[in-house]
Amino acid sequence: MKNKATTFFNVFLVIVFVFAFALPAYAGKTYKLGMSLAITGPTSDAGNPYAKGAEDWFKFVNETDYLGDGDKIDCPIRDDQYKNDVTKRFFEEFLDDGILIFLSYATGGNLALKRDFEEVQIPVIPASYHEGLIVDANYTFMPVATYSENAVGLAEYITENHKGDNIPQVAFFIHPSAFGRGPLEDTQKAIAEGMKIEIVEVVEHGTDLDNTAMLQRLVSKGVQYVICQTVQTPVATMLTDAQRLGVTAATFGETGKLTFLGAHYTGGSDLIALAGTATEGYIWADSYNLTSENNEGAKKQLELAERYGRDEKAANSHNYGAGILAAQIATEAIKMAKDAGMEVNRENLYKMMQKMNFNSFVAAGPVTYSETERIGVDVQNIYIAQDGIFKKIQSFESQYIQKVRAGR
Amino acid sequence: MSQNRWLATGNFFTFYKEEQRTFFTHLDRTVFTCFLVILFGWPLVFEISNKYMLVLDNILIAIVAVMGLNLLLGFAGLISIGHAAFVGIGAYTLASFSQVIGDNHMIITHFWPVLIVCAGIMGAIFGAFVGLPALRLKHLYLAIATLSFQMIFEWVIQFMSFFNQGQTIYLGRVHWFTGEVGRNEHYVFWYYVILTLVVAMGFGVRNLLKTKYGRCLVAVRDNDRAADAMGMNPGLTKVYAFALAGFFAGVAGALHAYLYRGVGFESFTLHASVGYLAMAIVGGLGTLNGIFWGPVAIKFLDLQVEQFSELAGRYLTSAPNVATALKPLSFGLVIVLFLMYEPRGIANWWRIVKSYTKLWPFRY
Repeated sequence: MKNKATTFFNVFLVIVFVFAFALPAYAGKTYKLGMSLAITGPTSDAGNPYAKGAEDWFKFVNETDYLGDGDKIDCPIRDDQYKNDVTKRFFEEFLDDGILIFLSYATGGNLALKRDFEEVQIPVIPASYHEGLIVDANYTFMPVATYSENAVGLAEYITENHKGDNIPQVAFFIHPSAFGRGPLEDTQKAIAEGMKIEIVEVVEHGTDLDNTAMLQRLVSKGVQYVICQTVQTPVATMLTDAQRLGVTAATFGETGKLTFLGAHYTGGSDLIALAGTATEGYIWADSYNLTSENNEGAKKQLELAERYGRDEKAANSHNYGAGILAAQIATEAIKMAKDAGMEVNRENLYKMMQKMNFNSFVAAGPVTYSETERIGVDVQNIYIAQDGIFKKIQSFESQYIQKVRAGR
Repeated sequence: MSQNRWLATGNFFTFYKEEQRTFFTHLDRTVFTCFLVILFGWPLVFEISNKYMLVLDNILIAIVAVMGLNLLLGFAGLISIGHAAFVGIGAYTLASFSQVIGDNHMIITHFWPVLIVCAGIMGAIFGAFVGLPALRLKHLYLAIATLSFQMIFEWVIQFMSFFNQGQTIYLGRVHWFTGEVGRNEHYVFWYYVILTLVVAMGFGVRNLLKTKYGRCLVAVRDNDRAADAMGMNPGLTKVYAFALAGFFAGVAGALHAYLYRGVGFESFTLHASVGYLAMAIVGGLGTLNGIFWGPVAIKFLDLQVEQFSELAGRYLTSAPNVATALKPLSFGLVIVLFLMYEPRGIANWWRIVKSYTKLWPFRY
């Protein structure tokens, strides 16, 4: 009896050992990615929800076995505090760790690392939609339409909807950096290509807390439209001042008043939270589906946020959606490589990304890349702030941006 | 000097020449040589991570920059809040070459040692120019003058299209005798280059301080009127101190540009200037070894706080952005604590350790 018990115990131990060593082999593979962005510091109001979006999507992928075979994604998210030197350090660290795709953030950081991306031949998904990142670059895959597409598209929207015989008089309110200046330059090129607007003034904002003089000057110069290419805070300050001065147009293009329009990072629920009723009538171009639209995509975004206990602010932020999309693109590339029976490495992921075509619940249109195309979602939605939320007016694709690109 | 050249129990100089020695004892020399052998040898023995090599390279570049600042602030007593701008002058000297002749031109890729010196000279020229107000200004007023240079530098870089409005201006990969320095060797290569420069410049500073020019700096710092009465030219000395600081900063800027293979405006802001000041203060103003301690301590602190704030950011609410505040808070706290409790910096701890070993085994 005692021998039987001993034998049974020994067999049990052997089985435990076999399973202990064999299980990891069947637990699936882990694919390493790396993400560096500003979770704290400048622009963290955008970077923070962006990081949460990406983190939640990867958690969802791992928990639901989205990739199949028990495969998982390991994507450490590092806070570079919007500093290029720190981004570079993180990038080197990620390379040491053997990452397959780099999820990056700021315009400056991406421009600084652009040559490294090409040398290392690593697919990169940035959070910056600066047009310059995909000029002379093969490995940077822009998730959505660029800021230049936003700005040129808004200018086109003005020409199509402007009432009156005069050429629309436009001012640009931009961030004093490449991030702000690039879209302005492309709009100027579009004007050279025949677009009918006139840029009366360009304002590179500082950290002013009062825009009274600037707004009065714009009105006195006959400016009707102000296109903003910056972040939300300066726009909120300007909108609040415009409301106080009574120079905000009640209807689109109202004579003697200012109609405000802006690109991706100028709008969203955060702008409404900052500027309140002063946001009413603000026109915003963006390639993301908003939760205020209350459609299927919005529901899925909110469900994901709820699943991981995100607060309402993060859940409704379009930057949360942007983080999800960046993570989805990386996930899809891995899935495509797996489905094609290829080894999941940088080279094959690069190939897969060039064939990518899928629909994301957070985007305004399908995500498509090709051997020559580096912008995922070309479709933009035009939103207007009404009754405390952004409402969709229409979807469109910029026509003049193609002419601008062809002229490069 | 004691008869035993290995273990001197105290300073006994009988000739000026003895006091002028770089190493007072054979033990000092041996320890220093061993330290150098370790610094030069370890990359050949251990596996190298690019991340840590980048950190080390950055520390070494900061040492070069702080050498200049310490000469200016510590030895000559002239405050500068625009040191990062001088570093930027060096970096943008290279960027200018890149803009004019192309980033992969032979002059940039093959004659990089010449360009590094050029960047230093350009830094010296700007340093001397910015130092001119030092002829009439002192203390806080001089600080404001250097601050204005920092502001002018930032404005010029951000608005001039020649400088790409602050966006990255690329530099090609440099060549060595073995051919192009590839990505895999990049950080190690620059580690050796910068380390060699640090050693050479360190000896340069040490020797400078033994000459009449070096002594002039200290004399002007202690009392410029007395220095004038003793036949020195305080005005020229001040301008020359700024030029020297500018030279070191310019070289550091060029090294930074080559290390990052590009020049972007964000590395040369007022924030970076304050960082250099902190390094000089924490290391120990007016000391040679403080030049090395300061950058090591501040960069190390930077890394630790970065990790801590990242950790804190995960658990704290983002609304007050507490994690963001941790870095400047800890930075400021360290400087204040050093100013309060150890104004002579880490170099003083080193002095105490050395004094102890000098007296050992005797207590007094």
